[in-house]
Amino acid sequence: MLVSIDALQVSIDGASILHGVRLSLKEGDIYGLLGPNGAGKSTTINTALGLIRATGGHIEIFGNDVSANGAPAGVRGKIGVLPEQGGFYDWMTATDYLGFFAALYGLAPSREDIHQRLLRVGLDTQDNQIIGTFSRGMKQRLGLARALIPDPLLLILDEPTNGLDPRGRREVHEILSDLAHEGVGVLLCTHLLDDVERLCTKIGIIDDGRTVAEGTVDDLLRGSSQRDRFSLRLASTPPDLPPSISDQDFSVISHDNKWWHIGINAGIRPETVWPELFAQGWDITEIHRESRGLENLYLALTEGGIS
Amino acid sequence: MNAILVLARKESGELLLSARGLIWLLAVSGALSAFALLLVSDTELSLLDNAQVVYDMIGIITALGALLALVVGTDALAGERERGSFMPLLLAPVSRGGILFGKLSGVTVAWAVMYALSLPYLWAVGSTGQNMVDGMIVLLVLGTPVVLAFGFFGLGLGCWASSTKNALLTGTVSLVLSASPLLLGPSLRQSAIGKIFDAINPFSAAINAFDAVIVDSQSMAMQAHHVLIACAWLLAAVGFAHFGFRRMYR
Amino acid sequence: MGIRKFILAACISLWGSGALAGPLTIDIRPSAINPASAQMGDNLKFHTVIRNDGSGAIDGLIAWISLVQIDRGKEQPVDLEDWSAHKAIAKTSLRPGEIIETDWPIRLIQAGHYRVVVSAATRSGNVLISSPFADFSVLRKPVVESRRVLPVAGGLPLAIILFMYWRRRKRMRPALQQKH
Repeated sequence: MLVSIDALQVSIDGASILHGVRLSLKEGDIYGLLGPNGAGKSTTINTALGLIRATGGHIEIFGNDVSANGAPAGVRGKIGVLPEQGGFYDWMTATDYLGFFAALYGLAPSREDIHQRLLRVGLDTQDNQIIGTFSRGMKQRLGLARALIPDPLLLILDEPTNGLDPRGRREVHEILSDLAHEGVGVLLCTHLLDDVERLCTKIGIIDDGRTVAEGTVDDLLRGSSQRDRFSLRLASTPPDLPPSISDQDFSVISHDNKWWHIGINAGIRPETVWPELFAQGWDITEIHRESRGLENLYLALTEGGIS
Repeated sequence: MNAILVLARKESGELLLSARGLIWLLAVSGALSAFALLLVSDTELSLLDNAQVVYDMIGIITALGALLALVVGTDALAGERERGSFMPLLLAPVSRGGILFGKLSGVTVAWAVMYALSLPYLWAVGSTGQNMVDGMIVLLVLGTPVVLAFGFFGLGLGCWASSTKNALLTGTVSLVLSASPLLLGPSLRQSAIGKIFDAINPFSAAINAFDAVIVDSQSMAMQAHHVLIACAWLLAAVGFAHFGFRRMYR
Repeated sequence: MGIRKFILAACISLWGSGALAGPLTIDIRPSAINPASAQMGDNLKFHTVIRNDGSGAIDGLIAWISLVQIDRGKEQPVDLEDWSAHKAIAKTSLRPGEIIETDWPIRLIQAGHYRVVVSAATRSGNVLISSPFADFSVLRKPVVESRRVLPVAGGLPLAIILFMYWRRRKRMRPALQQKH
């Protein structure tokens, strides 16, 4: 287990900020940490990293108990972090910046090494450019490159796709997927449920300082009544479906003349359902997504719903 | 490379390579140039007047140096924290003490640059007068602890204050209060309160030593008690920064 | 008118190069090693001989040096604070025929024309005894030379500005190259 947090409690200036956060992340996991603003996601991460002192509970990173004194230098040396509000040294070049942090991590990469790292995040043509001229998206990529400097075992990212265009987001997703395949554990704080569904092998939902749900997306959705809902416009009344298809993968919630509202069960990808329906003679002319299962689950749990 | 050296290099770069740092250096250089140019037109200066000029210039260098160090020190911590570039430093495998020493080294480099910048000015106004070399030495021996004390005080304020603005405001007011002997006349400094203030104030220690060496041609050895006062304040400022940093970041 | 002049001249001749006040006389002369053309920063020395020409001892003697500036329009006494650390001598008792020889060093602080005099007083006497005046001139030495100050005062800020400009060009160059 890379990170194990159990019953974490944090009080700041007498106010209880966290009172029962749990989190477990192993090699190769991409863990999505979700929660409303002010729920305690950043506090959880900062406490795990030793920036805030825990008042109760247990934190282990790479098997080291860091609850009392924070992560020692040896542990921090194998963690890469991309904070949400990251600042940079605007007067440095990208190469100088990575070289500076490499030196802090006790590394001495060559210019070619640094170039390769910038290439990985798509900044290879900006290696000698002053950071002050970078766009927000470029700075985000540079921050990711910095987080990857120590070839970390654990990567903690807070809104890593902020400021990135769709191509950039996809590139980041690919990087994270590759890292997970290499055995790196990724802890991802994000509000983008698309990213969570696409990437995360496990999620944790925090609300009001405590964990209200933890597990794989499929497990959580199966355990709840939340499903992805779609509206299908049909050219004609569809034939009845055999039981082998219906009920297992989806169910019809309601319908009127032309619109059929269906809910797709947890663990079933919507794009596998449409070909089956077409094959059964459903003459679908339009498909609209009404809501996501994960989004509904998130909203239900963070509005004081059941855990 | 040692983490402290890496950080010190970065801090130096912040001063010498960033637009913000260079503007500060330009402002300091401009102030010294303005004072030096004021003297050029006055051909009636006596030897004593010239010694007074060198003394005044060294006082200005010390005051400007303290202001620059205060700004650099405050920005090194509070400013970085506000810009969001401090967290990656904290998360790197560098000890808290290492980070603090790196920041202190940055303030030291700022003074070293300022001192080097001031030497041509002192040569220009003082080379045909008296005690120019002694003046440069006393500036190094007394000016350094006074300037660094304010720089480290700025670092400490960055830990304790809620924002860079508050830290800088508090530091600037402290600097003005401490430098008030430069502005007060001798008669006010001779009052009971003035004497007590003079005895404990690091700025007073520095300018009294400057006066003794440059104007009165006393030896450096006779300034030991002034050096002690300045060094005591320097140690206090280091302690203030250390405890502030430890309190903020475990 | 002529009688008055005669009496005045007689009085002056009595004072002469040595001052008389009863038995005490003071002679002053500049040191032989004084520079011929003294300028600011130089050191001068004046040598005095105080002699008891009387038959009795002179008790409680104190002699001191005074300096005045005599430039037209700037006539004023000069504070010896920075000119000399040796401002006075004292003698408990000066026997008849005994002399006191003293060197009076002076550091030349300011340009101008000056007059130095050594005066003396005794415990029992009621008049001031002075040496004759010794005049000297101090040439001005430029202590702030524009050919030193101007290059530094103008050059250093200019160097910083040029460096800032170069850094800005370096910052913008890769971004501009990318655009094209």
